[in-house]
Amino acid sequence: MSETQTAGAPPAQATYYLRAEGITKVYSDGTVALREADVELHSNEILGLLGENGAGKTTLTKILSGLLPPTEGRVVSPRGRIRFSSPREALDFGIGMVHQHFALVGPFTAAENVALSHDRPFTRTQLAKTTERLEALMEESGLHVPLDVPVEKLAVGEQQRVEILKVLSRNVDLLILDEPTSVLTPLEVDELFTLLRRLSDQGTSIILITHKLKEVQSVTDRVVVLRHGEMVGDVKTSETNTEQLAQLMVGQALDKDVRAVELSDKELPIKQIRDRAKREGPGVLHVEHLTARGNTGEITVNDLSFDVHGGEIFGVAGVEGNGQTELVESLTGLRVPTTGVATINGTNILGVSPRQIYRLGVAHIPEDRWQLGLVLPFTLAENAILGIHQWKEFKGPLSFLRWGRINAHVRELMDRFEIRATGPGAPAKSLSGGNQQKLIVGRELAKDPAIIVASQPTRGLDIGSAKYIRDLLEEMRDKGRAILLVSADLDEVLARADRIAIMYEGRFMKVCYPDELNREQIGLLMGGVSNEEAP
Amino acid sequence: MTETKRTLESRLLRGAHRTLTGLSPAFESILAAVVGLLIGAILMYIWGFDPWKAYIALFKGAYGGLYEISSSLSRATPLILTALTFSICLRSGMFNIGAEGQLFMGATASILVAYVVVPAPFGQILGLALAAVAGAAWSLVPAFLKLTRGVSEVISTIMFNWIARWLVLYLTIFLLRDPMRGEKTISIPVAARFPVMVPRTDLSYTIFVAVAFALVIYFILWHTTVGYEVRAAGLNPTAARYGGINNKRTMFLSFILGGVAAGLAGATITMGLPPTYAIYGGAAMPQLTNVGFDGMAVAMVGRNHPIGIIVAAIFFGGLNAGGRVMQFYGSNPVPLEIVRVVMGAIVLAMAIPELIRIFPAVKKQGRELTGLLRRLTRRAPKEGEA
Repeated sequence: MSETQTAGAPPAQATYYLRAEGITKVYSDGTVALREADVELHSNEILGLLGENGAGKTTLTKILSGLLPPTEGRVVSPRGRIRFSSPREALDFGIGMVHQHFALVGPFTAAENVALSHDRPFTRTQLAKTTERLEALMEESGLHVPLDVPVEKLAVGEQQRVEILKVLSRNVDLLILDEPTSVLTPLEVDELFTLLRRLSDQGTSIILITHKLKEVQSVTDRVVVLRHGEMVGDVKTSETNTEQLAQLMVGQALDKDVRAVELSDKELPIKQIRDRAKREGPGVLHVEHLTARGNTGEITVNDLSFDVHGGEIFGVAGVEGNGQTELVESLTGLRVPTTGVATINGTNILGVSPRQIYRLGVAHIPEDRWQLGLVLPFTLAENAILGIHQWKEFKGPLSFLRWGRINAHVRELMDRFEIRATGPGAPAKSLSGGNQQKLIVGRELAKDPAIIVASQPTRGLDIGSAKYIRDLLEEMRDKGRAILLVSADLDEVLARADRIAIMYEGRFMKVCYPDELNREQIGLLMGGVSNEEAP
Repeated sequence: MTETKRTLESRLLRGAHRTLTGLSPAFESILAAVVGLLIGAILMYIWGFDPWKAYIALFKGAYGGLYEISSSLSRATPLILTALTFSICLRSGMFNIGAEGQLFMGATASILVAYVVVPAPFGQILGLALAAVAGAAWSLVPAFLKLTRGVSEVISTIMFNWIARWLVLYLTIFLLRDPMRGEKTISIPVAARFPVMVPRTDLSYTIFVAVAFALVIYFILWHTTVGYEVRAAGLNPTAARYGGINNKRTMFLSFILGGVAAGLAGATITMGLPPTYAIYGGAAMPQLTNVGFDGMAVAMVGRNHPIGIIVAAIFFGGLNAGGRVMQFYGSNPVPLEIVRVVMGAIVLAMAIPELIRIFPAVKKQGRELTGLLRRLTRRAPKEGEA
């Protein structure tokens, strides 16, 4: 590994833009997030920061941009040592960061949001100036967003563009993007990467935080790999390959299946069909002519009919925002659909409260684990009984909670689902994303459900956790449970689902077996081009 | 040298920042109390009093002996209950400002015991029950408005406080008036009063009602599914809905429980506070006024936890009791109002951990200023040389 570490050193020593020397970061709770990291950033370079969840990527960028003081080591620029006390100071210096969770004011327009990061944002002249500048910037960068619409009405991809514009409008020299592609459609990802290339050619230094190897390969010039807070590699992208990077990142030989899903640029191993005969007739979940409206009243689920059978994973693929959220909410009691029929083993589930639906044996792994899946200030134990707190097992006389049994149950979950935490009393917000998701999955599977509705179950998770959760779903499938897997990750659906439906604007473009279509055809369907229209 | 000094300074600042933001809730409250007392001391000093003597008088008056402790506990009793009203609703995600009005209604309802003749334990029970029902009923309307029409509970409860106040005034003057003495209502009969616990003080057994209710609330919130649902809905309504919890039910429930607490607070005043055992004083109604609002301060200092509330209520009760002594303290008669100032300052000081967040901004301004000064002073000799 030592020979790869020196590969990134540029010929001219003084041309660096920022340099981190011997950075160690220990958080106040004793977690060592980074150990002796050395990184150099250059203009005209896109640096990929690769690592699993909790590897220290975000900590490193926060230290680089001066938002977090390192415990040891220092960050220097050619102008001297840097230290900021606020994001605005970092912006003034020329460092801008686009976070994974956007920092936008929902009811404000794009222009107003951008103006917020300027001095005296809301004087009329300043706002007009910002708008003018934004229009020029959009022309220049090719990033187009409507400026006079409240950003909460924009699609996620557009919101991200507003975030990028916000940073660009401050003339940054260093642009840091934290997992920018996790919310984008494939087309938007391509657009983003083209933009990053152009910005880099214009002299901007860019850090791209990601755990997707394909992205690293397609856009970066250099890769820094972190594992458990340690820098395990600093290599030129052209001198490495995905397999090597994956090994650096995970630190162990990868499971073949994961490698196939995560690494292959070529054709994916499409799921072999086991037995088709079983999936005829009405399923565990039966949906007929389901129509539902979104939050703003438009029809988002349009006349859907399908069945999910026991012992199958029914995958719903598609670009996010095509009605998947509303479909899942309708089936789990969180949204009242306008028309249609949906039953579980013959019992109606439409317009019924979530509690009654759970009683029918439904487990729901929600797409938004912070808003929906967990009560973050609650402890692990309190979260582990959310939705099942009425169980006889946990509820004594006078509806007293049996904390002894609950804690025992939680310890069992922690054991069985490899949830790493200090104990049942740890607050859920102190857990890493992967462990939070394992907690949710564990809680839901503990219900011993007849059907599992899993919505984006592996979004934002590292390879290990994602594989683990996918395996769990397959295990439940093999036990004869019905699984509705809604995912924007096409690879996940293709590799794990027994049948797939491609959703576009509230309709299923096609429901078929994974081996009936190739990726190109699926891509077209996801974009709304049906096979009849396709050439 | 300046380098080391600056790093020391910044380290101290950062240390203070970390300490203050990472404080345990209990310690935060104690710190706030200390800051409140300090502000009071500064004010006394400005007005020419001796803060040290005054505080000695205050604390002697509050906890200096059996009589003093009894007075403090007696004043803490209704505060525990009204603080619970605020806290229960806050735990379920609502700002219930209505303890004051619910307390008025509870106090008035408990007076009705005077019109029936019942033997000893049943009079007390009946009075508490009437008060609890009246307090709960008074919180029903804001609850219904909130749940059916989405009316903000802050506004509706404040308005209901005023309605209660004037309604109670009408009732005490025209219906419940003592035929012998027009300035007060009819008194609770001796058989229905809570006996005085410590002779020659105004501490009665009602303190047990308050503490017991606080413990009940503690068990409900942390050890029953109902309380679990209330807390989940308060912290994250979306996740609660996902978890099959009916948010309207938890809101309704916490409103009712809060109303019961405030109603009981009213009863502890009429049934357990010598010497009047009645509502008196015309429109001023000095026993009842502000007990509901003070409860909110107690709830904040007690961190909305029933046990914390008991401690905070005893502290606030002590301030009230000791304040009376302080104003009569020989050469150093500090007016009672300064105690209210201290209370206000404590509530403000509760926000200190938040205030700490602006420290870096202050530091930055300071750094810019010193930088500017340094540049100016450096330029001056250069001009001299030229």
